[in-house]
Amino acid sequence: MKVELQHVTKVFPSRNKKSEEEVVAVNDFTFTIPDGKLVGLLGPSGCGKSTTLYMICGLQKPSGGKIFFGEDDVTDLPPENRGVGLVFQNYALYPHMTVRQNIMFPLQNLKGTDKLTKEEMLERTLGAAKLVQIDNLLDRKPSELSGGQQQRVAIARALVKMPRVLLLDEPLSNLDARLRLQTREEIKRIQQKTGITTVFVTHDQEEAMSISDMIVVMKLGVIQQIGRPQEVYDDPVNLFVARFLGTPPVNVFTGAIRDGYLYVGEDKLLPVGDLPDTEVYVGIRPEGFIPQADGPLRCHLNNVEVMGRDVSVVSTHPASVNPTVRSIVNADIPVDTSAETIRYAIKPHKLLVFDRETEKRIYLGSEGK
Amino acid sequence: MVESKHQWKAWLYLSPCLILLLVFTVWPIINTVRMAFLEDYSGLKAAGGQVFSFGFGNFTKVIQYKKFLSCLKNTVLLCVITVPISTFLALLIAVCLNSIKALQKVLQTIFFLPYVTNSIAIGMVFAAMFNMVGSFYGTENELIVTAGIINNVIEFFGGHAINWINYGSSYAANMTVMVVYIVWNALPFKILVLLGGLQGINRQYYDAARVDGTSRRRIFSRITVPLLSPMLAYVVITGFIGGFKEYTSIVGIFGEGMGPADDAGRLNTMVGFIYDALATNSQGRASAAALILFAIILVVTLINMQVSKKKVHY
Amino acid sequence: MKDTAKKPSLATMQERDMSKEATHQKAVRILVKVFLYAFLLLMAFIVLFPFYWMINSSLKTLDEYRLSVPTFWPHQVQFSNYAEAFTAANLGRLFINTVIVGVISTILSLIITVLSAFAFARMEFKGKNVLFAALLATMMIPGELFTITNYGTVTQLGWINTYTVLIVPFLVSVFYIYLLRQNFLQIPNELYLAAKVDGTSDIKYLWRVMIPLAMPTLISITILKMMGAWNSYIWPRLVANDEAHRLITNGLRNAFTETTGDVNYPVQMAAVALVSLPLFLVFVFLRKYIMKGVSRSGIKG
Repeated sequence: MKVELQHVTKVFPSRNKKSEEEVVAVNDFTFTIPDGKLVGLLGPSGCGKSTTLYMICGLQKPSGGKIFFGEDDVTDLPPENRGVGLVFQNYALYPHMTVRQNIMFPLQNLKGTDKLTKEEMLERTLGAAKLVQIDNLLDRKPSELSGGQQQRVAIARALVKMPRVLLLDEPLSNLDARLRLQTREEIKRIQQKTGITTVFVTHDQEEAMSISDMIVVMKLGVIQQIGRPQEVYDDPVNLFVARFLGTPPVNVFTGAIRDGYLYVGEDKLLPVGDLPDTEVYVGIRPEGFIPQADGPLRCHLNNVEVMGRDVSVVSTHPASVNPTVRSIVNADIPVDTSAETIRYAIKPHKLLVFDRETEKRIYLGSEGK
Repeated sequence: MVESKHQWKAWLYLSPCLILLLVFTVWPIINTVRMAFLEDYSGLKAAGGQVFSFGFGNFTKVIQYKKFLSCLKNTVLLCVITVPISTFLALLIAVCLNSIKALQKVLQTIFFLPYVTNSIAIGMVFAAMFNMVGSFYGTENELIVTAGIINNVIEFFGGHAINWINYGSSYAANMTVMVVYIVWNALPFKILVLLGGLQGINRQYYDAARVDGTSRRRIFSRITVPLLSPMLAYVVITGFIGGFKEYTSIVGIFGEGMGPADDAGRLNTMVGFIYDALATNSQGRASAAALILFAIILVVTLINMQVSKKKVHY
Repeated sequence: MKDTAKKPSLATMQERDMSKEATHQKAVRILVKVFLYAFLLLMAFIVLFPFYWMINSSLKTLDEYRLSVPTFWPHQVQFSNYAEAFTAANLGRLFINTVIVGVISTILSLIITVLSAFAFARMEFKGKNVLFAALLATMMIPGELFTITNYGTVTQLGWINTYTVLIVPFLVSVFYIYLLRQNFLQIPNELYLAAKVDGTSDIKYLWRVMIPLAMPTLISITILKMMGAWNSYIWPRLVANDEAHRLITNGLRNAFTETTGDVNYPVQMAAVALVSLPLFLVFVFLRKYIMKGVSRSGIKG
């Protein structure tokens, strides 16, 4: 099921009676989620991602704009008529029901021609439980389950009524680090197996990048960029997106374009063709540094952290916006740890230039987009 | 915590509490049991040097006593009628209150108002509302001056005025008035607790149920009530405990006669019986009745807890 | 999960169905809302009616009260009922007695409760847990069971018809100790240890740290205790029913022994209104604390 948002806006009236200010949680969102894809809504807290999810779900009504499931306009439909499954951040499993009763609960609500016999219900409950691999836990109460198991029950409950769209609100945030890795692969597996269009919300870029077919990056109610994770990572449209994606984060420097050259501080980095002179930010991904004796970027070497396959070189540069410049280089390349300075050559495709004022991307000649 | 050589300090802090408890709580427990098992014990006679023999006489006499049985009947009836009614009404009101936004705070305050009243004082208001002014000597064609506002309302809707609490009124009418008053009095606490419980239920359960297309009725019976069951159990148990100790609300409406003018004592309760026995210096009988009351409360509470253990979902 | 695709073929029909259903549901929602408010307002009316009737009656002349068709607001407002009630029931004396008993017993009770709760929450001594459990167990026993013996005890102590007899037997409330102990336990122990290291005395620590932090609970206890003095009836009637020491509820009942029949209701209702007024004022100003305290206690007064 394709999900389409057209100019969707959500305005919350101000909580404070004295100030008339309204909060625009979601501002004019237009995008299409292709059928059968896993999509991550990504952004820092307050960016409107959960509001967007709840509007797709139907728990909140847009102040303006339309939402389509396939060709159906669902904007005014209550959630129960949309055919959506929702997994809550803290799962919202009914504490007084067993796992079986929890999963079966949505089926018992079906009325009229959709009504199921007891056998059909049990069968579908078991099917959903098997899909998420909790069929051995059906008689337990939620309080007797681990966080990861509760998560699976919640997914099974959302899937059992065969929704057209599956929605997950911060699905991994309540799990510990180890479970998180495991569960996100699990979500990917279930999504691929069922082929249901799935939308999830997260503030963790790694989580979104690792499993999504497509990510929507937003900030303060405004969509910044939409695309495949790798695309967005390699080709961010502005400084915010560049900084938000990637661990360790992108290294940002103040710099300038002067006489056809890109400068970082006083270091003349590379020629940029006939771009006009301007003040810029320069972003360099940690993996974009190559230690090289005559490299143009001269940093003051602090220390080297060995991480096995790679080493992380921590240095400082007078023009750096971040407190330190962190690069990740292949351990095979020797780094003289006793030296005062380290010089780098920069891989051009890991170098991102942004306008100082608008923070919008400036494409260098070779990229030419 | 703090090293043990300061133990005496703890006991010093506790001493006022413990001394008072010893005198006014621990000793009464022992003494009440003692008096209950001394045949026909009377404080007055004991002071006169009389010695009493051990036995179960107080209990057997109390149980055979007609007045006691009537008190027991009144108490149990009031409990059994008022607790379910007030619990159900309170639940209904709490659920309604919980599902509105405008006026919620105002209505919540109004519903709590009866709690901060004096059950004797407001009992007098209820008496005034149910009271008929006229001559009541059991004769036909009595002159009714004022029928009372409740009767006025009944007559307005085409009914006949009822003699609720005056001379010659029926037991059923008396009990009806008591039930109305006790329920009115019991509502605020129950609404407060149940509303607190409802507001403590995570909204996400309701959102989850909505996404699944659950009907209002099913949400109520399958989610709200089970999640509220600990509060319901609490309200019912405290309701029964309070109900078995019913006394002042009857004094409020009927005065210390505990019944209409022609049949004083008709509405007396267990607690009333204990005080009457005390007033006539029959401490043995009073103690026996108090122990019976305690036993009833204990048994009812245990039964309630057993039932709720099966029904309460935690 | 495999047949998710079966629906779109009916898309347009379904859409029309759905929007119709949506308006239908909207109508149902509004109807439910109307019903909700109607029910709540009716119940609120029933709850408030006795109070209204009390005020209404208290302002009528006796003749007007006796009209066979009741008036819903007095034609002739007669405030003198209040003055008459005040003197007839000797309310002044009753107010003073009740305030004396209420204030003294609240203060003493707070001191005892704070000290005991502190000992149970912050100090180590042999048998602490057993003692605390025993205390809690006494809460199950109905008060009437104690009264029988206590009546004898206070008689022997010669306390009959004194303020003492109205104050002392009820100074200890296990429930309040329990409530305050729970509150004290939530205060991190490190604060106490830090105070010990600084050489702060227990009393000073209690006064400067614990009591401010436990203030809401202490206020709740104070209000409930005052309400207790205001509403207590059985015990005062038994042991202090003389003119000099009688409490308000008792005095009210004594002044108007007749509740049924042809009594002077306007004056009686004026007296009831006067007695209820202080509680209302307390309620208006301290509603939050009362409701908080009550929801935890389940005990009236």
